[in-house]
Amino acid sequence: MRIGVDTGGTFTDLVMLDEGRIRVHKVRSTPDDPSRAILQGILELAGRRDVSDVAHGSTVATNAVLERRGACVALVTTGGFEDVLRIGRQTRRELYNIMVEDRRPLVEPALTFGIRERMTAEGDILIPIDRAEIERLAAELKERRVDAVAVCLLHSYRNSSSEELVEKCLSDAGLVVSSSHRVLREYREFERWSTTVLNAYVTPLMARYLGTLETKLGSGSRLRIMQSNGGSISASAAKASAVQTILSGPAAGVVGARAVAEAAGFSRIISFDMGGTSTDVSLIDGAIGVTTESTVGDFPMRLPIIDIHTVGAGGGSITYVDTGGALKVGPRSAGADPGPVCYGKGTELTVTDANLILGRLDPSYFLGGRMPLDMERTKAATREFAAKLGMSDLALAEGIIRIANANMERAIRVVSVQRGFDPRDFALLAFGGAGGMHACEIAEKLDISTVIAPKDAGVLSALGTLLADVTKDFSMSILRPVGAVSGEELDQLYAPLVSQATQDLQREGFDDDHIGIEQSLDVRYIGQSYEITVPYEPSYREEFDTHHARLYGYANPRRATEIVNLRVKAIGLTSKPELPRLPGKAVSQIFSEDMRHAYFNRRRFPTAFLRWDALEPGAEGTGPAIIAGAEATTVIPPNFRFRIDEFGNIIATRTGELRSRKNHG
Amino acid sequence: MAKNPIELEIFKNIFVSIAEEMGVTLCRTAFSPNIKERLDYSCAVYDAHGETIAQGDHLPVHLGAMPLSVKAAIEHTTIEPGDMVVLNDPFRGGTHLPDITLVSAMFLGRSRVPAFYVANRAHHSDVGGISPGSMPIAQEIYQEGLIIPPVKLVRRGEIVPDVMAFILANVRTPDEREGDITAQIAANRVGETRLRQVVEKYGPKRVANLAAELQDFSERVMRSTIRQMPDGEYFFEDALDDDGFGTGPIHIKAAIRINGDSAEVDFAGSDSQVMGGVNANYAITLSATLYAFRCLVQEDVPYNAGISRAICVIAPEGSIVNARRPAAVAGGNVETSQRITDVVFGALGKALPQLLPAASQGTMNNVTLGGIDPRNGKRFAYYETIAGGMGGRNGLAGISGVHTHMTNTRNTPVEAIENYLPVRIRHYGLRSDSGGCGEFPGGEGILREYEVLADTEVTILSERRIGRPYGAQGGEPGRCGRNTIVRDNIVEEVPGKARLKIRPGDRLRIETPGGGGYGQAK
Repeated sequence: MRIGVDTGGTFTDLVMLDEGRIRVHKVRSTPDDPSRAILQGILELAGRRDVSDVAHGSTVATNAVLERRGACVALVTTGGFEDVLRIGRQTRRELYNIMVEDRRPLVEPALTFGIRERMTAEGDILIPIDRAEIERLAAELKERRVDAVAVCLLHSYRNSSSEELVEKCLSDAGLVVSSSHRVLREYREFERWSTTVLNAYVTPLMARYLGTLETKLGSGSRLRIMQSNGGSISASAAKASAVQTILSGPAAGVVGARAVAEAAGFSRIISFDMGGTSTDVSLIDGAIGVTTESTVGDFPMRLPIIDIHTVGAGGGSITYVDTGGALKVGPRSAGADPGPVCYGKGTELTVTDANLILGRLDPSYFLGGRMPLDMERTKAATREFAAKLGMSDLALAEGIIRIANANMERAIRVVSVQRGFDPRDFALLAFGGAGGMHACEIAEKLDISTVIAPKDAGVLSALGTLLADVTKDFSMSILRPVGAVSGEELDQLYAPLVSQATQDLQREGFDDDHIGIEQSLDVRYIGQSYEITVPYEPSYREEFDTHHARLYGYANPRRATEIVNLRVKAIGLTSKPELPRLPGKAVSQIFSEDMRHAYFNRRRFPTAFLRWDALEPGAEGTGPAIIAGAEATTVIPPNFRFRIDEFGNIIATRTGELRSRKNHG
Repeated sequence: MAKNPIELEIFKNIFVSIAEEMGVTLCRTAFSPNIKERLDYSCAVYDAHGETIAQGDHLPVHLGAMPLSVKAAIEHTTIEPGDMVVLNDPFRGGTHLPDITLVSAMFLGRSRVPAFYVANRAHHSDVGGISPGSMPIAQEIYQEGLIIPPVKLVRRGEIVPDVMAFILANVRTPDEREGDITAQIAANRVGETRLRQVVEKYGPKRVANLAAELQDFSERVMRSTIRQMPDGEYFFEDALDDDGFGTGPIHIKAAIRINGDSAEVDFAGSDSQVMGGVNANYAITLSATLYAFRCLVQEDVPYNAGISRAICVIAPEGSIVNARRPAAVAGGNVETSQRITDVVFGALGKALPQLLPAASQGTMNNVTLGGIDPRNGKRFAYYETIAGGMGGRNGLAGISGVHTHMTNTRNTPVEAIENYLPVRIRHYGLRSDSGGCGEFPGGEGILREYEVLADTEVTILSERRIGRPYGAQGGEPGRCGRNTIVRDNIVEEVPGKARLKIRPGDRLRIETPGGGGYGQAK
């Protein structure tokens, strides 16, 4: 029996695969000790049966950073470079804000220790480590009772011997140590050190949490933790190094989205998770896109993570008019409390309110009827606001939706057009509380023809956690011109990474038949600063030109190139049960008895109001339709058709242009 | 009130995202460390008159100056479909010579009149002249590097080989220049393509109308900000240390007259232009002044032509803030621009003492290193700027070790420098006790120490080595910066502006100024 668990702020979602059936369960989260909700959920879901595997997506590490509740970390670094993390890249976050704030450091200045040592860029030891100095330092750190130590020395990606020496000395004294060459063996000191300090900061807390959870689960269950790269890892590995579990929640959602889309027959999708306060978008081109440029709290984290672009706008985003007279939507959000006007408490108009005004929500069946919406209250607030702008209620409501959609369109462009992909080649997979209400109109703007609203949208993260493979990433900066390093030499340089990767997965319980190794290279033209990752194949040089041209519009095969980093990704393949299909039914046309009115492009349309649960596979219909589910509502505009597939997903396809009465796009 | 508050918001996003997408292409494919690591570039979209519609949030110093490039390109050439105009001439649309600007026009249908322009500007590592890195201590512009008047670099979609060859023959690192210029061309193409898609989708007339509305929008926001300031005339004065040739201090004076919703900033009384390269042209003075006013706006307003409509900037011709040819100007863009900001902020502080901060470091500490790398026999030219202390604010201490006001360029990682240059960084950290005391103290400056591993020609262009960044509302000024060479354990002082040759093992130490404090220390 395998169970996937995703701990969110409000709910803990559980998904169990049981004899080919997916069973879903939700319990209230217990933020003071998340393991309580998990155990309760497992008990309620599995009863007394044995649970062999528990895969868990957790926000423990993320919250530790965001709420500054992590470990007391000391930093040991090359003397003369104690302030590198404070200075960062010497830039301010906002150009025109006099009151711009500083980054809040993770290490207190008093706990930063510069030691006498120096490595050159070539990896030669210029000043060797003085053992006695490190032993004195170890004693002092013990006395100061620090939880963890980050060891960050210059050029350790090239030669790690000095870091290893310090690490050994401190570990022997009983200290918990994170060394920068182990966490991220890549050049650029600020980014490597920042990633290392983040690791030291979150690992002790995570280790404690996982220890508790393992004890409570008992020895019969194997615990795996979701990582931000989209794979999972054993609890024991996460206890030793937890930085990879930061940002794992949204990553699990993307893995779940991919699995659901693939089952439904779509391999190229843009996942679009629009919640109450923010929206996550990500592009899946068969494989899930990965980036090494992310920030956690105020600090860069350079390990590979799923490339997710987040914007601070969602269904709860508040509408206002700024001093220049432009209508703004977000980034301020009404959240859950007071919530949108229609929830009965809030006083500021939100995107959700605009949807209600346009007839795109069923006030009596919102969230499956759990939350009745106050139409009169919303109408009054809209009328008041619209009067101030001298426009009609409907024009205002539609304007709010258009602005929200434009923000979303921009976010989707970031992950597609800016990465060299044409959004038209993808289907839009919409989930989150507000995703399905906006997806079709956004798809239309981007000329995307298909929108998928997955049946199990509410538990995609838990599902992703359950289905994720076990993965480990390794990298090493080599900074060598392509011409100067032979294939043989590259293989030699790769060898230790590959054997380390293989061993790590064997330790996780995989045999050779279930271990996959992917080798890739970060390449750039000599003199550039940004690299492109290409698979390590004989044609990697040409492949690089192709990618460069796709991303930036040009390439120069004659220009000399350089290999910056070697990368190895080890994948432990887990068995993937097929997602259960619903009993097949013949194609049938949907007729709704509940016809109401909704507005699209300023026109009033008789619109079918439907309940998702009542629609069977094979059912087909044409827009306009409003399909209300227990967790979310899907809006089908007049120029879309839709069908219910064998998994219960809604598949909506565009049938043509929707002409508006007035041309205002 | 806006004619259409909904369309306005949507198009604001569209125009800004075009500028940003151009920037992504430029920085990711450029070769100069200044562009790719330090992000010393700007991209923008212009209307048919060459007025800014939107500019990416890149570098403040390019704010007011970029449209003058577009106007110079329009004035001096006849742009046809597929053409791109290159320029760097400070007296015809440029700022200082390393900033090379590329302007393209977008034509609709068969029209011969451009409907829009896009442009980008990037700081190149070298454009020739007497010092590697082209940030020299020079006496006239002809020594500072290759001057490129507005000429066509791309004609009907093809690079003009003669022009390219001419440029490359005049710079120290032609390979790198060619790469950077290619990246600039690619960035403009991205901008053109995106703009064309938008016009096709929404129609040219509607896009042009909304561009105009967007400019009106920024104007309204700026005017409403000025309206909240008390009417009156506010004076302030500060000075540059010197011009590197014995003239100094060089005074900059400003009178700001607030009248309802408009402002006049008059630099009358500022000193005459000088021999050394700290002269600013009008574009720079305009940029610095607009930047200071832009900081007073609380809202998310796109930077465009509307911002400047409410503010009239008067700079006497032939003065340090509006120099004439053949003034040397390398430092005008990086140093004088900072002092102009200090002066405008100082005067605004008389009107709004609770809002305006103490002075920040007031310099960019430009360091250029050049020579021949003994490891490969190749020439190198490397330029960087060093952060310092930010001035204290009402309610917040100044940030330490950060770039302020007219620049926000990143540092180059120590591990990158040491891999690619015959230089070892010996120390990179904050300089304690350099921030001015105050209720909210100024941020600390930085100490960066370079040990050179080859014979190296060093050019330093720095300020606030004599004058100190002022405190505000009773706060103490920040400490001055200091430049020294450590050679055989002997410390030699180096002036704020200097060009010198140093030997392997010599150490160059740059200590940058701290910010001024805000309010009396308790």
